[in-house]
Amino acid sequence: MQSNPVILVTHLSKAFDGVTAVEDASFQVNPGEIFGLLGPNGAGKTTTLRILMDILKPDAGEALVLGRPPGAARRRVGYLPEERGLYRDLRVLECLVYLGQLKGLTQADAQRRAAGWLERFDLTARAKSKVQELSHGLQQKVQIIASLLHDPDLLILDEPFQGLDPVNVDAVRALIREQRAQGKTIILSAHEMSQVERLCERLALLHNGRVILYGALADLKRQFAPNALEISPPLPLAGWPGVDRLEMRDDGRQRIYLADSRAPRDLLKLILERGYAVDHFELADVSLDEIFVAAVKELPHG
Amino acid sequence: MVNVWTIAAHEYRVNVRRLGFVFSTLLYPALGMISLAIIAFFASPAGRAVEAQLAPETRPIGLVDQSGLFTPLPAEAAGEFAAFEAEAAARAALLADEIAAYAVISPDYLETGAVAFYIKENSISASGRRSAKVRTFLQRRLLEGKVDPATLERFYESVQLSITKLDASGKPQTTLEASAVIIGLFTPYLVAFLLSTSIFPAAGYLLNSLSEEKETRVVEMLLSSVTAAELLAGKVIGLGLLGLTQMSVWIASSLLFSVGVGVLIADSGVLFNPQVFGLEVIYFLFGYLLYGILIAVMGMLGADPRERLQIAGVFSLTASSPYILSLFITDATHPILTRLVSFFPLTAPVMMMLRLPLTDVPALDVGVSLGVLAASIPLAFWAGARLFRASLLMYGKRLSLRQMWRALRET
Repeated sequence: MQSNPVILVTHLSKAFDGVTAVEDASFQVNPGEIFGLLGPNGAGKTTTLRILMDILKPDAGEALVLGRPPGAARRRVGYLPEERGLYRDLRVLECLVYLGQLKGLTQADAQRRAAGWLERFDLTARAKSKVQELSHGLQQKVQIIASLLHDPDLLILDEPFQGLDPVNVDAVRALIREQRAQGKTIILSAHEMSQVERLCERLALLHNGRVILYGALADLKRQFAPNALEISPPLPLAGWPGVDRLEMRDDGRQRIYLADSRAPRDLLKLILERGYAVDHFELADVSLDEIFVAAVKELPHG
Repeated sequence: MVNVWTIAAHEYRVNVRRLGFVFSTLLYPALGMISLAIIAFFASPAGRAVEAQLAPETRPIGLVDQSGLFTPLPAEAAGEFAAFEAEAAARAALLADEIAAYAVISPDYLETGAVAFYIKENSISASGRRSAKVRTFLQRRLLEGKVDPATLERFYESVQLSITKLDASGKPQTTLEASAVIIGLFTPYLVAFLLSTSIFPAAGYLLNSLSEEKETRVVEMLLSSVTAAELLAGKVIGLGLLGLTQMSVWIASSLLFSVGVGVLIADSGVLFNPQVFGLEVIYFLFGYLLYGILIAVMGMLGADPRERLQIAGVFSLTASSPYILSLFITDATHPILTRLVSFFPLTAPVMMMLRLPLTDVPALDVGVSLGVLAASIPLAFWAGARLFRASLLMYGKRLSLRQMWRALRET
């Protein structure tokens, strides 16, 4: 563990009317990393983030944000809540300037920065439109701008890709990488894990309010990767020595699960020796979804 | 604190230009101006002339003089009155619309004064005017020739009242016309009424603003930048200033367009007793702060906008109960009730605002009621901010009593 984490969560718990939302959660987010808080709907991600933003108080445990209790460093944190909303009858620029002022910017500074971000998102022409005149996707862009306007050290993005089309998903991904490159720390939550898999360096997987997996993505993949390979075109390998089972993937590749004692390169050697042609051969990767399912199955009541 | 002022300025700026606010702020003065203009015009000779032109009453009033005291009619009364020998003939003339009404003067009129008046239409004001005409005619005829003309005129305009107010040493302070005295008493009460009633729209703006932010989900964005207490405080200040703006426009327009009020300001000192007016403003501010916080916070405990309005309504009703009790303000037989209502925080602002212009309120009452309010407001804000924070992220459901208790205990 590194010293001076940006976020340090220790044994955090929160319940609503007897229903546990977060239970004994512990993790830390290091400076300059993209950290994923992942899990299905109802796993406790949003409750955890709301505690970090001092919107909710925990029942037990402790959270430190930028070394201080939640809420003490609000102006250094940018937050995109899951429950999106803007002032519908305000003009876009006016709305951004107000939200920027609440983060400590002067009116002139907030105006200048908002204009710059609107230009970057191709929204300059809509600066004087009322928020309610914008499409859902554009409103979401405006909200992302609002979370970035004051140039925060820490960005907390709750379901940032929800409701965005693929083009905008890519744009937001690029933005997150850019912020990371500038040395910012980013914590993002998502229930569709595939959306953040390519972004996160470290993550915590939540299930029913508990952290069931936590660590570097690469380590978790190694831990959960199956002894398997993927080839194309598919071959009639059933019954071959060391082959446990075969599976066809959606992308047309054939996944071959091997017995623990068998190395993938031994199978490749055998295929070539038997005169089969192989266009594609790679070690099977494991997705976050698969890791999550496997981790849940390992739980006592999984 | 900077955030509080940013929120206050934003709330004021955004809401002051809302069509609903502009409309309600300008509508009442506009309606008042129009009404006053109409009344003033038709009360003037020009207005009466126009009224007469628009609805000329050319028909005479029939008189069936069974006493024989008033007929034959003098020549000057010929156009206005028509004498009938028998009531049947007068009734036939009325039904044929030849006369506007008729009066039957009883044979024993001198002993009893009995006069039966018959009309065809439902207009009370018109029949009132006509019966008054008959009364004046009878009075003049009874006294004619027995009293000199000057005395007769004074009989009809017997008192031109003026009232002089003396100070403690007996030195005259101000002299007022009778009508001015009535307006002078009524206007401060009206201002107090206007001030106290304008508390409720201002509190309503606060509830609407919070409800809107919750419904549009913008509130979570705000809470990532400010605390719930800062948000509540900023809104209370900004929308309170909005309420003050509206009230100022209403009062200023009332002053500008009320007949004779300008004279009162200059001459009487009745309307703007600075001490009373200053206290009125303080009670307005205290009242708004207390009701605004309570109505907004308790309203926000409702699950949806309709329920929020219902909860707010209960508080508004309690706060406005002194309007009903104001009947006892000038009644010296109920001093305890009046004072108790003045000391209860939920009713104190309105009750005191109504008492101040009508009676000499003891300094003790002012001190106690202000003290109670000054203590209640921070308490309401402290509890309100906690409940407000706990309720903000609850969509479609309300806080349970247990959750409220927990929210109040949270540090």
